[in-house]
Amino acid sequence: MSRTSHPQPTPQPQERPVSTATQSSPWRHQVERALSSNIAPIVAALIIVSVALSFMSDVFLTSSNLTNIVTQSAVVGIAAVGATFVIITSGIDLSVGATMALAGFLGAQLAHHSDSGWLGLLAVMGVAVLVGAFNGFSVAWLGLAPFIVTLAVMGMARGLTLQFSQGESVYDLPSTLNWLGSADLAGLKVSAIVTVLLFLVGHLLLSRTTFGHRVYAVGGNADAARLAGINVKGVIFSTYVIAAVCAGVAAIVLVGRLDSATPNAATGTELQVIAAVVIGGTSLFGGKGSMIGTLVGVLLIGVINNGLTLLNVSSFWVQFVQGALIFLAVLLDSFNTGRLKRAATS
Amino acid sequence: MPIVSVQGVSKRFGAVTVLDGVDFAFRAGEVTGLVGENGAGKSTLIKILAGAETPTAGSVVLGGEQLPSTTGDVIAAGLSVIYQELTDVPDMTLLDNVLLGNLSSRGGLTRRGENRRRAKAGLSRVGLGELDLRTPIRDLTISQRQLAEIARCLVRDTRVLILDEPTSSLPERDVETLLSVVRTLRDEGIAILYVTHHLDELFDVADRVVVLRDGNLVGDQPIGQWDEPSLVRSMLAKELEQAYPWRPRDVGEPALVTRGLVARGVKDTSIHADRGEVVGLVGLAGSGRTELMKAVGGVAHVVSGEVSVAGRRVRTGSIAAARSAGVVYVPEDRKAEGLVLDASVRSNIAMGDYAPVSRRGLLRSGVMTRRAQEITSKYDVKLGSVHQEIGKLSGGNQQKVIVGRVSEMSPRVVLFDDPTRGVDIGAKSGIYEHVFTLAEKGSAVMVCSSDTDEVLAVADRVYVLAAGRVVGEFARGSFDREKILHLAAGGSAVSEPPA
Ligand SMILES: Nc1ncnc2c1ncn2[C@@H]1O[C@H](COP(=O)(O)OP(=O)(O)OP(=O)(O)O)[C@@H](O)[C@H]1O
Ligand SMILES: [Mg+2]
Repeated sequence: MSRTSHPQPTPQPQERPVSTATQSSPWRHQVERALSSNIAPIVAALIIVSVALSFMSDVFLTSSNLTNIVTQSAVVGIAAVGATFVIITSGIDLSVGATMALAGFLGAQLAHHSDSGWLGLLAVMGVAVLVGAFNGFSVAWLGLAPFIVTLAVMGMARGLTLQFSQGESVYDLPSTLNWLGSADLAGLKVSAIVTVLLFLVGHLLLSRTTFGHRVYAVGGNADAARLAGINVKGVIFSTYVIAAVCAGVAAIVLVGRLDSATPNAATGTELQVIAAVVIGGTSLFGGKGSMIGTLVGVLLIGVINNGLTLLNVSSFWVQFVQGALIFLAVLLDSFNTGRLKRAATS
Repeated sequence: MPIVSVQGVSKRFGAVTVLDGVDFAFRAGEVTGLVGENGAGKSTLIKILAGAETPTAGSVVLGGEQLPSTTGDVIAAGLSVIYQELTDVPDMTLLDNVLLGNLSSRGGLTRRGENRRRAKAGLSRVGLGELDLRTPIRDLTISQRQLAEIARCLVRDTRVLILDEPTSSLPERDVETLLSVVRTLRDEGIAILYVTHHLDELFDVADRVVVLRDGNLVGDQPIGQWDEPSLVRSMLAKELEQAYPWRPRDVGEPALVTRGLVARGVKDTSIHADRGEVVGLVGLAGSGRTELMKAVGGVAHVVSGEVSVAGRRVRTGSIAAARSAGVVYVPEDRKAEGLVLDASVRSNIAMGDYAPVSRRGLLRSGVMTRRAQEITSKYDVKLGSVHQEIGKLSGGNQQKVIVGRVSEMSPRVVLFDDPTRGVDIGAKSGIYEHVFTLAEKGSAVMVCSSDTDEVLAVADRVYVLAAGRVVGEFARGSFDREKILHLAAGGSAVSEPPA
């Protein structure tokens, strides 16, 4: 497989829209909010775990290992960007893992047979968007419970993947399709760069645009948002599509990294994604959360996974620890929200 | 011997002092009224009495002993609070609600006969003895549900009952029922602390009235020594010449016209409101005031009929269509439908109306803050900062934020559904001042309220509604209170729920 084909252009949102003068006060306010919110304990946890690991393992603090953590976290991180939008509206998307598998597999197969990476990329994104639109339509317009809808879609997508693949993986993919997941750019993994860019875009979308403001309003109080003239159904629909677009990008990274697509890919990824978002302080009750928090959540999970591997802990324990983290995060969330609810009844 | 005494209680939230060395006491067999402006600290004081907040300084003595520090223990010690919002479980029966968390049982089995007897006893003390205990509580009227909550407290042997604005979400005609229950309980020897913004209720039931201003206790006298002006002066620290500063206005061409509107709770209604006019809707609870407003505002589904604004037909059943025609509905239940309680004041002001604070979809944070500061100071909202959670503002101040947010949109037609619910007497006149200004600038304003006298005081013209129909229309010159109330009551008798 040759690596000589030209890399596709990376998205370049490089203009700086806001001058530092107008930026300073909202910035400071954001930092204050972040510190006073439930991110602070997670940041502390990340620091403590990292310091502990740097003592327990010589390898941990090496630059190659740190790069490794970021690269390993790319798939979960990219999907978590999208999941943050969904969870802020008090929704949930259990289908991301299965969507990644379905979109990744169909795209890879198309690319393999047509020998066109571009066609493959298009197919991955197309399939993902269709799944997201289905989720969004069912939740927003049919009024079905997001947990049930996405659980059902998870089953359907995984089933379709197995049916199309008959359990077989696809190998030997065009380099255009693999580029995102495997190439290096200026000494960094392209997948890591894309992850960071997506976080940045997600952060700006959430905190600096009217769309982001609507997302928070819908999650905070859908009735009030509706009466204030916000198209609540449209907002909910968009969040599921955003989640699916992110799942599509994550699928491309995953396929490229393995240079293959397997029907069982990304099994259980949805739990890691939800864990990262919730650990990052986004409330399952909706209305609260931030992309910065999700980033910290993703890094915390990445660091813990990495540390357990470095310390040769069995992968069964890794699963256990992830489960325990979700539990703690949900507990913290319910504690914070419960306190708020009580405070609000005056 | 007072049963509750509050001794030098102070409460600070961060740098804000909400209560400052409050000293007062109240006795068994007495109704003590507690009044004060929005944000004066009444609810905070109540939360301290309920064990939900700890005072920064000072202490509370209940029946000779230190007040317990948790809400559960305070209830067990005989002090119960009725909050403004219902706290019942809508899907459970009346019996289960009255005995919530308090069922008698033996060996893990509930004692049915004993429980029914206790529930009946509690309910008959609030005049609900005749109701079927198996009724799901959601089928009762708001006022019956509130009385059932009081019964719940009585079943737990309450000695002290605190009511925080109990009449603010109660239909007018049910107020008297509540007041008579309060009198009965007082005569049975219960100590009652009664918080309200309706001063006439105090002259009806209170034995003493205590006034809070800015967290300080500024008045404490038997009711006989107060009159309405002196009470208002003590609350506001200034004279209030006119509660409703109505003044004549030029009324222009029709802004809103409905023809044969039919919707849930609305039957064949044709009304109009003109530019610069304040139109009142008078009617009892269930007469269709809210439903009519919701139908016009695009919030509720419209079965048939039409709505036009400035001569153009507006697609019904769509908030977006109503908004773009310039029609805005302001909901009565601000907590459920008006605000995102745990978002900031700034966010709540921007919500849904992004044109002034954004450019091509990008929010301008500085503009958002500045605009929120301007609006909150213009509408006299008492707050620490616009970044504060709006849920932490006092009820009346939350309402001012909503009125400000809407008025600043300069809509063609505004539908205010009970805009002064839970608002103090000074702020009420402030809110209507803004409503009149809005009308002067050419908006057509429609107002309804649970307080008919308030509507009559502010409107240029009123429609009387009963059972979903317009049964009368009066211009300001010919307002006849008795006739209006008679019409409103006559039409609704058919749909009155069984009591
Ligand atoms: N948790 C809190 N954090 C910060 N400030 C608070 C908090 N709770 C209440 N306050 C502030 O304390 C003040 C008093 O509020 P409180 O609800 O006691 O007023 P109130 O007298 O009940 O007013 P209203 O008549 O409007 O209900 C308000 O200015 C409010 O903003
Ligand atoms: Mg209050």
